[in-house]
Amino acid sequence: MTAMTITPSRSRSQGDSLKRIVAVTRLHFVNRFATFWLPSMILGFILLLNIAIWYLILAATAGVDRAQTEKGFSYSGAVFYIFIYMLIVAVQAISRTFPFALGYGVTRRNFWLGSSIAFGLIAVAFSALLTVLSLIEGWTNGWGVGGHMFAPSYIDAGPWYLRFVLYLLTFLFFLFFGSAAAAVYVRWRSTGMIAFFAAIALIIVGAIALITLTHSWVAVGTWFVTSGPLGVAAWSLVVTFVSAVAGYFILRRATPKN
Amino acid sequence: MTTVIEVNGLTKKFGRFTAVDNASFRVEKDRIYGLLGRNGAGKTTIMQLLTGQLFATAGSISVFGETPVENADVLGNICFIKESQLYPEDFRPRHVFASAPWFFPNWDADLAERLIADFRVPVNRRIKKLSRGQVSAVGVIVGLASRAPLTFFDEPYLGLDAVARQIFYDRLLEDFSEHPRTVILSTHLIDEVSNLLEHVFVIEEGRIIVDAESEDLRGAATTVAGTKGAVDAFVAGREVIAREAIGGLATATVGPLSAVDRSAASAAGLELSPVSLQQLIVRKTTAAPTEFEQSA
Repeated sequence: MTAMTITPSRSRSQGDSLKRIVAVTRLHFVNRFATFWLPSMILGFILLLNIAIWYLILAATAGVDRAQTEKGFSYSGAVFYIFIYMLIVAVQAISRTFPFALGYGVTRRNFWLGSSIAFGLIAVAFSALLTVLSLIEGWTNGWGVGGHMFAPSYIDAGPWYLRFVLYLLTFLFFLFFGSAAAAVYVRWRSTGMIAFFAAIALIIVGAIALITLTHSWVAVGTWFVTSGPLGVAAWSLVVTFVSAVAGYFILRRATPKN
Repeated sequence: MTTVIEVNGLTKKFGRFTAVDNASFRVEKDRIYGLLGRNGAGKTTIMQLLTGQLFATAGSISVFGETPVENADVLGNICFIKESQLYPEDFRPRHVFASAPWFFPNWDADLAERLIADFRVPVNRRIKKLSRGQVSAVGVIVGLASRAPLTFFDEPYLGLDAVARQIFYDRLLEDFSEHPRTVILSTHLIDEVSNLLEHVFVIEEGRIIVDAESEDLRGAATTVAGTKGAVDAFVAGREVIAREAIGGLATATVGPLSAVDRSAASAAGLELSPVSLQQLIVRKTTAAPTEFEQSA
């Protein structure tokens, strides 16, 4: 053979790239049970359990000032589980679906972009679900027992769409932070994980030290109060954004191992 | 012929360990290639390099005329089925078969259906509950039904029984004749696939030690057996691939023999037998010729 003839039997088009990104997004949703139904079912179960407990407390404290009892129901962290669930969804999306998708001939770039869209959709869908449930909670006077699970007192104030934004920002934070952490694992394995958590521990301890030594705890407290839950959540966007960008560059040079 | 893959001076090091050592080879379009070698010889590493999953330390790789690394145009034409493929948590085979068509434009759903029945894959069971062979079958089905212009099978049939393996070979040949494409298969079961392979690469400690048409390899070696003295006399001056001796008897594997050689051998009372591809490779990849001499 003299001059090499390379005429690949393949097509090349602009729409191809978008199609592949969307395919990755759909790949994250092909197992809808794990992504949507299971967390929703667990959420429903937790809600039922909470209602039962609120009802029992009301029954046990019958005769006591009901308003006082119900005030105790206005704090609940029950909904927090779903953020952790989504953190795990994100971790598995990178640690398990990434090597799988590479076998399908997906580039790391398209995988990250498609996954980011999937994370965005998950965040919107579950924020909508939680917001709707918080509205139902309001209309039914706290599921008939004055309970607050979806609109605990610290986010109760303000219109429903602010609650939606608050949920959205929180979901995005956990999804992208989880995926960036998983990207560190996929790229550098356990060494990377140790370094990653050591770095986070250093940052947290450093921040605490800085605040303590400069006697700024009051200022920090004031900041949290004046910013409000939405303001604090908006600042989480910084970490979310850094995670999304860093995760992309970390995964760009990652190699799947089994 | 059209070149699909061209590799020059490819080297991959993991720390101080050299997994692939200055490999150069070429893969032509629409043929079936065998990548043979022992465990740890570097077969998987080469496939991962060709599919852009690993980054080369040195050398060049051209797939469809371009680098495969992060190249969507190139990778979009590749399907890579790994023996140790990781599946997303809680996936069932039906999730795999539902999503694969989004990535492979040539996906043939009918073929996939047929293969699912052939291999008796329980599509609704979780992949982590499947037997080793069933997991392998899922990969094999994707590899065949994807009809990717360039398909890699890395030890695709771990745990598959003989019947299932035969189904794989039959279906691959059938589908290949109707829809030609480039297939690269790595395997231990050399004799089983030797009729399937058109061209063979043998890799040993990261180096390509054989790069030949399987047709040529089949007649490439002959075993000569007889008394030690006769064997030694016959093989003197020839390339000896392997040699064994027990007591007064010896066998030696030598390169191609002419008709004259053959009659000379039978005149010397030597027995000649063809060497199968597997035996040839075993001999080529076993370090030094072994001697089991016994003092009589």
